[in-house]
Amino acid sequence: MILFNNISQIVLIILSVGLLISTLEYLKKVQIFSPNGLLSWNVMQLKWTKENQKPLLKPFFKLFSVPGLAILFLIRCLLITGLLFFPLQSTVGWVLISLLGLSLLLASLVTHYGSDGSDQMSMLIIITLILCNMPALASSKLRDIGLWFIALQACLSYAVAGIAKLVSAEWRSGTAIKDVFSTKTYGSKKATLFLQKYPAANLFLCWNVIIMETIFPLCLFLPWPFALIFLVWGFIFHFFTAVIMGLNSFFWAFMATYPAIYFVNHQISWHLF
Amino acid sequence: MLKLTPTAIYELVITVILACWFLATILCQFKETRVSWFIRYKIDLFNLIPLWTFFAPHPGKRDYHLLFRDKISDDSYTEWHEMDITEERTFWSWLWNPEKRDKKILSDVVQSLVSSIPSYREKTGNLNLLMFSTPYIIVLHAVSHYKRRTENCHRQFMLAESAGYQKETTPSLILLSVFHQI
Repeated sequence: MILFNNISQIVLIILSVGLLISTLEYLKKVQIFSPNGLLSWNVMQLKWTKENQKPLLKPFFKLFSVPGLAILFLIRCLLITGLLFFPLQSTVGWVLISLLGLSLLLASLVTHYGSDGSDQMSMLIIITLILCNMPALASSKLRDIGLWFIALQACLSYAVAGIAKLVSAEWRSGTAIKDVFSTKTYGSKKATLFLQKYPAANLFLCWNVIIMETIFPLCLFLPWPFALIFLVWGFIFHFFTAVIMGLNSFFWAFMATYPAIYFVNHQISWHLF
Repeated sequence: MLKLTPTAIYELVITVILACWFLATILCQFKETRVSWFIRYKIDLFNLIPLWTFFAPHPGKRDYHLLFRDKISDDSYTEWHEMDITEERTFWSWLWNPEKRDKKILSDVVQSLVSSIPSYREKTGNLNLLMFSTPYIIVLHAVSHYKRRTENCHRQFMLAESAGYQKETTPSLILLSVFHQI
């Protein structure tokens, strides 16, 4: 039975929603892996050019075809659904998540181009949960260490993104968001018109993102009511990047790290306050 | 004293692995170092070391376009045909957005091509060797499978960029390929 008082389990459930959507999206676009698609294995295998790597690549010709990957994605959907019924710490649950991790690793060989930060965060969380929940060997202390790792990676991601924006003249001058929103790839017509009408909003949004991302790691140390401000900001931030920029998978991947941040915050607060 | 039970050994091994992973992630946030290059291209086969600098320091301000045309005779060509990649999102894209993959693939490939152009120019003095790079082959492969007019077809592709909804900016050329027999 699934217990919602288990933080690792909550992390997994939130992440599973995003992974299910992402996998179904890949299923819809499975033709990109066809021989004439952008991610055809005929071309993607060129990444491994050494002679000793070629025998290792042979079995992948069947897997990385359209039918092969469609089956892999369907199996992944079944594994994710199965994880709703079997707790992470049970043997069946651990086997299911391990197979899910394996399917993600295999697919990463062919999705080198086109994957984004949310795919990396998802992979990072899944591998951590696999390693830290191995039946018979994993202790409760190791599960805590896994949650610490996820929380620290999440805070590192925000801080690095914030610092990288802080050193950028385009972000500091307040033009970056307007420019990104004006592209068809990551923007929207309505958002572009809004920012043209209210130029002061550009500067406010750029500096809001710079400051909040840079100081985000504070949420690990501050008393919970103050730390919660960062998580609410993060929720709103990811929701709007999903709505305006279409980055839907980032929302689930990063929301999945928040229970881990909650856990670490409460562990640190217990010692500090 | 620490008792070396299987659980304790496993705990120690996994803790060290996670600590190394975290350290490697920190080191790889600085793009240009030798260490980060080694970790990223020699160790990280599965793309497990993230780069967390989303949309910074230089945010993507352009939409990329991939076009191709065929040679009919020595001095006549077909019209440029644009591959359907940059399309506007639907209302439900915040929840369900499969189209983002095509856009991201092309964006990654083009960025990879553009960033490699200076080094090819520096090392060889011309861009001919660029034709052997993986991003170039991916683009050529994609355009070469679109329907052809004749069996023996010569096709050229063009990568261009535009500023999306900012209509006052004119589209510009990034790369014009030679004609390839496909």
